[in-house]
Amino acid sequence: MIQIGKDTKTLICIGTGGVGKTTMAASIGVGLALTGKKILVLTIDPSKRLAQALGLKPDGDLHMVTLPLAAGENTSGELWSCVIDHKKAFEHFIREGARGIASDEKVNQLLQNKLYQQLSGKLSGSQDFTSLITLYRYVISNQFDFVILDTPPAQHTWSFLQAPEKIAHLFNDGITSWFREDAQSSSLFKKILNAGTAQVLKALELLTGSEFIRELSAFFLAIQKWQKPLENYVMNCHRLLISQQTEFVLVTGLDPSRLKEAEKLSNEIRTQGYRLTSVIINRVPEWLISVDFKKVNANKNLRLNQIIQYYQSLENELQKRIHSFSSRQNVYKCHEFSQTTEHVQQLKENFKSIQRL
Amino acid sequence: MVKKAHFVTGKGGVGKSLVAALLARLYSLKTQQILLTELAEISFYKDYLNLNEISYTPTPWMPGVDVSQWSGEDCLKEYALHLLKVKKLYELFFENPVTRSLVDVAPGLSELAIMGKVTSSPRRHGPAMDYDQLVIDAFATGHFLALLGSPRAMAETIKFGPMGEQSRSIDKLIRDPQYTHIHIVTLAEELPITETLELCQSLKKDFAITPTIYLNKLLQLSAKDVSELSAKAQDILLSEIEAEENAKKILKKNKLHFIELPLVTSLSTPEILEALIAQLSHHSHSPEPL
Repeated sequence: MIQIGKDTKTLICIGTGGVGKTTMAASIGVGLALTGKKILVLTIDPSKRLAQALGLKPDGDLHMVTLPLAAGENTSGELWSCVIDHKKAFEHFIREGARGIASDEKVNQLLQNKLYQQLSGKLSGSQDFTSLITLYRYVISNQFDFVILDTPPAQHTWSFLQAPEKIAHLFNDGITSWFREDAQSSSLFKKILNAGTAQVLKALELLTGSEFIRELSAFFLAIQKWQKPLENYVMNCHRLLISQQTEFVLVTGLDPSRLKEAEKLSNEIRTQGYRLTSVIINRVPEWLISVDFKKVNANKNLRLNQIIQYYQSLENELQKRIHSFSSRQNVYKCHEFSQTTEHVQQLKENFKSIQRL
Repeated sequence: MVKKAHFVTGKGGVGKSLVAALLARLYSLKTQQILLTELAEISFYKDYLNLNEISYTPTPWMPGVDVSQWSGEDCLKEYALHLLKVKKLYELFFENPVTRSLVDVAPGLSELAIMGKVTSSPRRHGPAMDYDQLVIDAFATGHFLALLGSPRAMAETIKFGPMGEQSRSIDKLIRDPQYTHIHIVTLAEELPITETLELCQSLKKDFAITPTIYLNKLLQLSAKDVSELSAKAQDILLSEIEAEENAKKILKKNKLHFIELPLVTSLSTPEILEALIAQLSHHSHSPEPL
């Protein structure tokens, strides 16, 4: 069973791609709900099987999941799930920041700005941020005992953790001040007092063309009024990440390159001040114990022999590497299950099989 | 001059970096000079390929293959220096903290700069590149499409000026089947296969590109092979065998050509690469005709 702090309200599952983060987030959700808590699991991109298991709909709304209760088992807990809709989440963020400050017309103007559209949807970069603002939104709503976030399937978690900082730059006083001159003026840049800035803008114009600058200035002019509330919102998101009530759970796989990456990630995360409390090594081939090696050897099936030995060497490697994770984290393993059985019952089993190493 | 650019993509965790390294090595065996480059923010190859150092400037890895790591910022700097020419103006531009954060947040600028670098050699724009082919260990599926689409998106937003013009010329090369080659790595699991199918559709629809698919880490066992194992072991292995058959069936049904890569039962990267090179060299269809 996985240990979670008494005061913890937020769990963030991180890890490199393809290690089963989403399933793990859902398993922890099911397990904790069965202990009587009210849980929300926020996912990014669930597999079809998991979506079916949890009844997930990609609409960005909250849905209640039926818990797998054994005969006679009772719980007051609830499990809710939500697949984040990035476009909706970003729009919610903008509208929230604008509330009471900017008119609907102004907000719509921003939503139609080409750079905004690229920022929110077409191009990369905002998935990390929208996950975070959605997390923040539900944590502060106080509707749940726990909110569990499955982070974006990025190769590295850095970009997720840097999201608030990057977006904060967007509302940074420095940039907006470039464009804060009278919007009506046809000679926007002539008014800029600082000669250095003027030269920088000139260089930028040379690189990108005046149209880009125009779009950019329209974008910053549009957001300047509600820059402060948005900045505060971003700051609060960042505070949530470093809060004492937030725990990070690192999910990783068994092969050496994954373990090495997990090691790097766990060190980096700790030095940056995030509370990484648990490392889960997922899909450990527990079934190896049941294999009769004499029989396999006698079988003379070369390929099967190689594969079984390979899994065995992965396990040995794990034993060697386990000490490289800090003593400040609890290290767990979770068994490998057959791929065909992903339903809520399976998630419950999954949670139960999490075992401290 | 660079004649071909190979992008390697796929869902996270499927073995993109391994396949990119494998392709770089394979092409170099045909006496070509190859630059293998990774787009990750934190280098994966440094540890994986056991290199001392990895940076924007290429480092030798194997005979005929150099390795480097590109960030959007590096690419943009090089481009800016090339265009602005005046070093002082360039320094003023990049050393200004506000510019730095602007580069950070301006949507798509970083992706565009990377695509600019990938196509700089045939466009004769920027410093010369002494390689025949580029192999790019690119982003995972979603971000990869954003990368590939960034020049077109920018060209639509910015119609005039040097940026619009550049974006159009980059986009043209992306659509040139002689120049741009895309390799998708997948595992025989539901999510990566679904992503592969969707990516193939998008590539066909938006770029008219037909990618090469690699079905990675195959057990290549049959139900008979595992019939004497314990019930528990059979349960797991049979479900994997079934998943492998299913994946092949789905790819075939969608008329997608794919290359099978076995799970190499070794923990050492050089050994894994050697085994796969041997496998692919015997293959009647080499991954990409040179």
